Amino acid sequence: MNFNKQEVAITIADLNLTYDGKMALQDISLQIPKNKVTAFIGPSGCGKSTLLRCLNRMNDLISYCKVQGEIIIDGQDIYNKSVNVADLRRKVGMVFQQPNPFPKSIYENVAYGLRLQGLKNRLFLDEVVEKSLRSAALWDEVKDRLHENALGLSGGQQQRLVIARAIAIEPEILLLDEPASALDPTSTLKIEELIYELKQSYTIIIVTHNMQQAGRVSDYTAFMHMGAMVEFSNTRTIFTNPCEKQTEDYITGRYG
Amino acid sequence: MNKPVTQLQNWFDSGEPWVWLNAAAVSLSLMMVFGLLSLIAYNGLGYFWPADLMEAELIDGEQRTIIIGEIRETETVLAQQIREAGIQLSTQEEWVRRILLKQGNRDVYGQDFRWVLEQNIVSKHYPGDLLAIERREWGKLYGRLVNIKNKGLLIKTEALYLEMQSRLTQTRQLYKEVNELLKQDIGLVNSRLEKLRLKEKRIQLGTNPLASSLLKIEEERQLLNQQFNQYQTEVQALYEKMSFDSILVQIASGQIIEVPMENIIQVIKPNSMSILEKLGYYFHRIGLFISEDPREANTEGGIFPAIFGTVLMVILMSIMVMPLGVITAVYLHEYAHQGVMVRIIRIAVNNLAGVPSIVYGVFGLGFFVYFIGGSIDDLFYPEVSPAPVFGTPGLLWASMTLALLTLPVVIVTTEEGLSRIPLSIREGSLALGATKIETLWHTVLPMVSPAMMTGLILAVARAAGEVAPLMLVGVVKLAPALALDGDYPFLHLDRKFMHLGFHIYDVGFQSPNVEAATPLVYATALLLVLVIIILNLTAIIIRNRMREKYKELESH
Amino acid sequence: MDNFRAGRHISQQYNDELEEIKNHLLSMGGLVEQQLEKASIALIEGNTKLADEVYRAGSRVNALEKVIDEESAQCLARRQPAAGDLRLIVTVIKAVSDIERVGDQAERLARFASQLAKHPRPKNNYHEVYQLAQHVQKMFHDALDAYARGDEKLALKIIKDDVNVDYEYEAIMRQHITYMMEDPRSINSSLDVLWAIRALERVGDHACNICEYLVYLVKGQDIRHSDDRSFSD
Repeated sequence: MNFNKQEVAITIADLNLTYDGKMALQDISLQIPKNKVTAFIGPSGCGKSTLLRCLNRMNDLISYCKVQGEIIIDGQDIYNKSVNVADLRRKVGMVFQQPNPFPKSIYENVAYGLRLQGLKNRLFLDEVVEKSLRSAALWDEVKDRLHENALGLSGGQQQRLVIARAIAIEPEILLLDEPASALDPTSTLKIEELIYELKQSYTIIIVTHNMQQAGRVSDYTAFMHMGAMVEFSNTRTIFTNPCEKQTEDYITGRYG
Repeated sequence: MNKPVTQLQNWFDSGEPWVWLNAAAVSLSLMMVFGLLSLIAYNGLGYFWPADLMEAELIDGEQRTIIIGEIRETETVLAQQIREAGIQLSTQEEWVRRILLKQGNRDVYGQDFRWVLEQNIVSKHYPGDLLAIERREWGKLYGRLVNIKNKGLLIKTEALYLEMQSRLTQTRQLYKEVNELLKQDIGLVNSRLEKLRLKEKRIQLGTNPLASSLLKIEEERQLLNQQFNQYQTEVQALYEKMSFDSILVQIASGQIIEVPMENIIQVIKPNSMSILEKLGYYFHRIGLFISEDPREANTEGGIFPAIFGTVLMVILMSIMVMPLGVITAVYLHEYAHQGVMVRIIRIAVNNLAGVPSIVYGVFGLGFFVYFIGGSIDDLFYPEVSPAPVFGTPGLLWASMTLALLTLPVVIVTTEEGLSRIPLSIREGSLALGATKIETLWHTVLPMVSPAMMTGLILAVARAAGEVAPLMLVGVVKLAPALALDGDYPFLHLDRKFMHLGFHIYDVGFQSPNVEAATPLVYATALLLVLVIIILNLTAIIIRNRMREKYKELESH
Repeated sequence: MDNFRAGRHISQQYNDELEEIKNHLLSMGGLVEQQLEKASIALIEGNTKLADEVYRAGSRVNALEKVIDEESAQCLARRQPAAGDLRLIVTVIKAVSDIERVGDQAERLARFASQLAKHPRPKNNYHEVYQLAQHVQKMFHDALDAYARGDEKLALKIIKDDVNVDYEYEAIMRQHITYMMEDPRSINSSLDVLWAIRALERVGDHACNICEYLVYLVKGQDIRHSDDRSFSD
């Protein structure tokens, strides 16, 4: 798929990734549109999470992981040596599969990223915390217990808190790595509703095992298989009339 | 025929035998722990009880003697054994009972304790007017109060005992004043003089000693000497005042002994004390035991310096081992490349935990005391030489040696804690734009703190009980001064100190007066156990507070 | 589109369910086909007994329609079919109503056949109507056949063929209008014939619809209401 230059948030060009010499991603080229929800789907081990983690260089944590190719965000290759990884991650936020709030108060969780940036003004922090929690549709549920331990929240609330924490530092792009896989259906729907709300302001990329979820929340869907990008298209097309037989087999639940 | 076998089989298959086995093991352990504790407590705490004084008439052959003392122990022995010891026995029985009597009056009899055969006792009773006098020297004195002397003159009074107690109180007050003068004022002047001397020497050792500054020092010295002399005369006066009073006591043999009042700590009449009074006295004694300095080659008095030394040493050890251990663990777990080198270091650290503690003592003596301490002395204290400052065993080196000894425990537990922090928490922090060090500092380390505290608990438990290495690097049987006092710089890391563990060893095995020492050993052991328990409990409470914070995280 | 590629789902149960829906659809088609054939024979032969059989078969067709609708709804609710499977279910739901309508038209044809049987018959014994009936029967049969085999080429041929049905229909209609103008007494029977051929023409349209669904099912492209019916690869 091709987009206008202004519509593109991330351009991935010829991305190859190896784990300890083993190919994990192969010649991935992709343009991810701005202010849209893009879903990565595919069977386990297809590399969708790996690809997602390339986008904020989370793979840097693994020493034997080697990346080749370009990922361009805001006109800059994020794998360039001059890029500050912490700055990049501030720009490209991430939410993980397991809700992972810090064992601190709800307030401190949301303010964590801001405090890292050295912001201490109480009034400003209060404001951002409230705004973020409202954006994450959590404010009404926690406004009376902001200073209680975040670990006392339910799984779904924790995940929304983590999203609030991520958007408190106002990233441009939000990466969601199976954000609802550990949640019950109601919480899942709340998260999906939240994604729908958030796409007005953020470019969202979501990795999910749940194809129906990808179908529900995303505007574009990329199907990956064995480390390769099989098909990237409108979610509409992918779910009614995919071009590739592999995609069709995967989303209809056939033997690939 | 088959049925019982099947039932047994069923019982085995149900797994219940294992439950019973576990229960048995647990209860055995508990029984051993409580048994040990109660043995120590029984023997140790009994020491402070004001035992009744028995006055007995003893017949030994033709000779009749009167003895006074407290019964410490009664045992049954083979008559043969007694005969072989060269003692004549009138009875034909195979077994005889004998009593260990604390007769006190070591200055008269030469020994505190004697064995008495029960069959030799003709009559015994517990008269209320018997005194137990605790003295600063020569141990206890048992006998009857005959009179009080003031400046060599007898005092005529009806209430002899009360008069004596009131005079004793006065004398004790004087004694306290003298001690304060000696320890604080004179001690201060002394230490200033010493500093002045060192300053002078330093100036002399310098390249161009200034005559003017030397002169100034001389002036100061004059002043201090004057002060010293003034205090000295005060002390002399007090001493004289104290020596006015003395009491005359008739001991068991009928001999009358004069005891100077300044030599007396306490006088009681145990036989005429009510239970309540005895209890009061009991706790008073325990209080003294905990708060007083030892006397009489550690067999009398309290053990305060040993408690203080132990606690201070453990605290210093903790202050040293925690940062070092935590930093090492963080480096090994978070930063070091997980290769062969790190694996070797880990194995080395684990093996370090198994090295016998005396080896650490030898290392501490060789490396810390002689090498590092000697170098420090050469570099910073040339004026003191040839006397060493840090080049001799002391508190600092003992703490460092024990810190080294407990380092593996802290490293291992901290690393264990670090590896239990889920990756998702670190990733969560990193994804918010935190650097690795920020993630460690703000998120990981607070979560590891309970594990660090566990490490500290284990370290404290080990360090507080360790004696062998300390004997080489700083512990002495009697330290002249505490390592913490009002004299600048307040904490004297170069001083030697006393330690409960070593105190036990010293009192129990190095003391000439074995019988007197035995209960003290138990009491000290009990106190050591208590100190360790208190130190551990403190750490455990702190850890549990921390755990409370992260409780729900652990259930993940 | 080898038999909807069923038989390769990971879930065998899902396979069986889809297979069953498809089989029900085809047997419903078969029933309707029989209705249509009997109705047209009844028309030619003036056989009222055959016409009655057509009515009776109607209830079975309706019952099958209900079953298929229920099964499709269940599949949608519980399997959330996607892509090919989704298109299959969507087209089945639509095709089922088209087939049911064809059944209705067959019944209507049978009614006119019984009515025409009361009137004197023309010399050619409504041969032109019979030919039209044969034509749409074949179309409908082929449409079902194409659906069963997933043969979108055959479907496209049928869609194109529909024009011929329209021509035949118009020819017969003009012919009978002429009859009515010539002989007002024939108005009664001619009107019945007009209704009958109207029904046959509708069957042709339904067959076309089914073919259009098939193209969507196989190619994923909706060719309805577009001028470009010459869709090909």
